[in-house]
Amino acid sequence: MTAIRFFGEPPPNISGETLPGRLIVVEGTDGVGRSTHISLLKEWLEDRGVAVLDTGLTRSELAGPGIKRAKQGHTLDPFTLNLFYATDFWDRLERQIVPALRAGMVALADRYIFSLIARAAVRGVPLEWMENLYGFALVPDKVIYLDVDVEQLLPRVIGSTGFDYWESGQDFLRGPDVYHTFVEYQTRLLFEFRYLASRHQFGVIDARGDIPEVFRSIRYEIEPVIASMGADEAPLPRAKRSRARTTT
Amino acid sequence: MTPFRSDELAGRLFIVEGIDGSGKSTQLDLLHKWLVSEGYLVVFSEWNSSPIVKGTTRRGKKRHLLSPMSFSLIHAADFANRIHAQILPALQAGAIVLADRYACTAFARDAVRGVSRPWLHRLYSFAVKPTVAFYFDVPLEEAINRITEGRPTFKYYEAGLDLHLSDEPEESFRLYQGLIQKEYEQMLDEFALVKMDATEPLVVQQRKMRDIVRPHLAGVKRADSGGVQEALHEAGLRGRYLEEAARRKDVQA
Repeated sequence: MTAIRFFGEPPPNISGETLPGRLIVVEGTDGVGRSTHISLLKEWLEDRGVAVLDTGLTRSELAGPGIKRAKQGHTLDPFTLNLFYATDFWDRLERQIVPALRAGMVALADRYIFSLIARAAVRGVPLEWMENLYGFALVPDKVIYLDVDVEQLLPRVIGSTGFDYWESGQDFLRGPDVYHTFVEYQTRLLFEFRYLASRHQFGVIDARGDIPEVFRSIRYEIEPVIASMGADEAPLPRAKRSRARTTT
Repeated sequence: MTPFRSDELAGRLFIVEGIDGSGKSTQLDLLHKWLVSEGYLVVFSEWNSSPIVKGTTRRGKKRHLLSPMSFSLIHAADFANRIHAQILPALQAGAIVLADRYACTAFARDAVRGVSRPWLHRLYSFAVKPTVAFYFDVPLEEAINRITEGRPTFKYYEAGLDLHLSDEPEESFRLYQGLIQKEYEQMLDEFALVKMDATEPLVVQQRKMRDIVRPHLAGVKRADSGGVQEALHEAGLRGRYLEEAARRKDVQA
């Protein structure tokens, strides 16, 4: 059982209980391989006998469709966009994550408040405002942060979705071309992520390696969290503990 | 000290607050017409009217998806969008902005749902400090009578049914409005709300409102009508297509 903990003041209706589940978050910038590793992680957890709820940004019933529609217009100021995301976040927290934790499941979140804080920070939204806003967020049991440099992101992004409008920061950056705004935006974003990683003690995984190597490091980080739930024992992966990378 | 930003802006911001049935919208509408007839450039902003956000609010209300926090957050999103896309630019351009309900509406409605007041005040720190904020004070029973007269049903959130104060909509509405009124009363000083006696005759209230607004109008830009009225008069026209064109613009916006 873990006592419910929030970053700030507890929100109405869900304070003061203990939750038998665990909240595990996977953070990292666009194209770093989060969804691949979440898919692997989900299967691995289920094989261990752990029930998993997976959730991610904009997947709420309430605000998901509205955010997607709003982002097509490209006319959003950062405060509105962040409050929209916060609505989506809260709706999922209240109606998906907390019920799953109550039921003793692992809630696996693809991105959490940290992505939202990092994105807002590079757009000039004051950090205090964002931290006040997300005071209602549950403190996760573990945050896995997949860390790479922009140079490794480029081939992955080009090989998959291409340069997305928002992921290149085109809503606020001006540059000679999309390539340059992408590099500029992601560099700033990585800087914010690394700041948050040290501030909130993320489990930092060097995601430059190949998939098996990265996944071994992730399992190594998560094993103690799962073991504390009384799940089936599994041999620890042989990976060395991943070293925290220094900011470039 | 209010938590709002107080930048030097060329325009003026007048807002009205009060419980349902206090008559604030009627008074603001009269003020609007007067300011326009005086030649001022006036922008009107209504609660829950952001074109980007209001669809989600409607969805939440229709499906009863809104909890105290999501109710609070989605209304803050709507407000933030109106501040940044409508209110702030208009004030920067020197216009008069009239807002029917402002941040105190959110503070009152959210606080009675259990949301932390200090958290709300910090959340709304992007709001512009109003030039004058009017609070229409009315005895609860009178407001209830004005509202219930000729209205057979209440909507779920309008009646505060999500607070489970009573299963009976009219009784729930009464209790909910009472709680909101108490919140307003606690905010009078902190937010420098100018109390209006909403039981006075409408003309008397409007005269007082104009007397309070007038001194703040010195140096405010007046709109140039572009001479449409003059052109109509000169050519003996009635301008029947102008209204249609204005409506089309409204729909597009």
